[in-house]
Amino acid sequence: MSDKLRTASILVLVALVLLAPAIRDAISEESVIYVNDSESAHDGLPSEWNDEQVICVLFPDDFPHSIYSSGVTMIDADGSAIGVNENYNVTGACVGGFSGYSDGMEFMLDATRVAGGHLAVGYEVGDWGPYVHTIGGLNDAEVTGDFSGAYWELHHNGEMSWLGIGDVILSEGDVILWRIGTW
Amino acid sequence: MYDFHNIALTPAETLLLNAAILSVIVFALLKAERRLDENSGWIMLALLAVFAFAGRILFEPLPNIQPVTLIVLLAGIYLGSPRAFALAGVVALSTNVLVLGHGPWTLFQVIGWGAVGCSGALLADRLLIEGELQLNRVAALAFVSGFTFNWIVSSSILLKTDPAMLAPYLLNGLLFDLYHAVGNLVFAAWMAAPIGDMLLRHSIAPTSETVSEIVTN
Repeated sequence: MSDKLRTASILVLVALVLLAPAIRDAISEESVIYVNDSESAHDGLPSEWNDEQVICVLFPDDFPHSIYSSGVTMIDADGSAIGVNENYNVTGACVGGFSGYSDGMEFMLDATRVAGGHLAVGYEVGDWGPYVHTIGGLNDAEVTGDFSGAYWELHHNGEMSWLGIGDVILSEGDVILWRIGTW
Repeated sequence: MYDFHNIALTPAETLLLNAAILSVIVFALLKAERRLDENSGWIMLALLAVFAFAGRILFEPLPNIQPVTLIVLLAGIYLGSPRAFALAGVVALSTNVLVLGHGPWTLFQVIGWGAVGCSGALLADRLLIEGELQLNRVAALAFVSGFTFNWIVSSSILLKTDPAMLAPYLLNGLLFDLYHAVGNLVFAAWMAAPIGDMLLRHSIAPTSETVSEIVTN
């Protein structure tokens, strides 16, 4: 009896290791139903971006971006500046007007490239997918203050994302937002 | 100066090293157990704690695969809920404080493993029949315990977040739950019988008595 159990246990373990990538993908797809509706996430963004995909990067007061340091600069998908929203209490930049992306990381890299290097993304690929440590020249390790540590925190349609950017699956009109979180 | 401690090991090498260390510990514990008097229940509990402590730390490179859950379950079956709970607490606290990181989650891990130990104690009549460990049943319970433990620990997010967030949180942890459950299955298949034999020689009190203690409490 125990020999059968031992063999079976090893087979199950091997099966799990082999199936793990497929299980991760299935979980990412299921998670889409828990992502908020994108509508309210478009508040304050240019109205021509309604139903288009947008990425925003916000910088902490103590570590402002060298260029996007006043209000939130809105940059269209073709690289042209639409304007600056001064009504936000935060500073940074949004790039919007995209459609058709489903892979979160692919969208992030393509959209930030539109800002001509000002929103360059630095990341490492670990066992659990890409870890973004730098956006627009701000490395999370440089952010210090009255807290233990800081990291680039990912929001998907206004809610903190449970998935990493490498696992996020986008719908049309989705808004991705990065800001510094602390612990 | 020759800096031996500056050797960078790949994850596979780390795992191999850890497996070797764990083998030494297991071998030493098996040797030590043979020299014990019958009914050295408390010493056995301490040995289990050492083994669980070492196992949890040494298996750290593997996601969620570690022998603590099975050991606590066996402690519940053979030694009863109170001792299994104490074991859960000692192992969670010591591994977290010394190596893995201590915080509010430690309490939930203690509760999670304690619950696993209690389930073993409550089902002891069906898992241990006339001194014979029912391996298939233990393996099944160990598998389920992976989910029980993870979900208890995951519920700690309710301290900080909205209950609506629990479902996506649990969903996203499913792969890690599976790793834990399957790891438990493997440990149960390979280790439950030898550890059970040792515990049988040293069980402190009849299990039924321990169960009734808990019920009346």
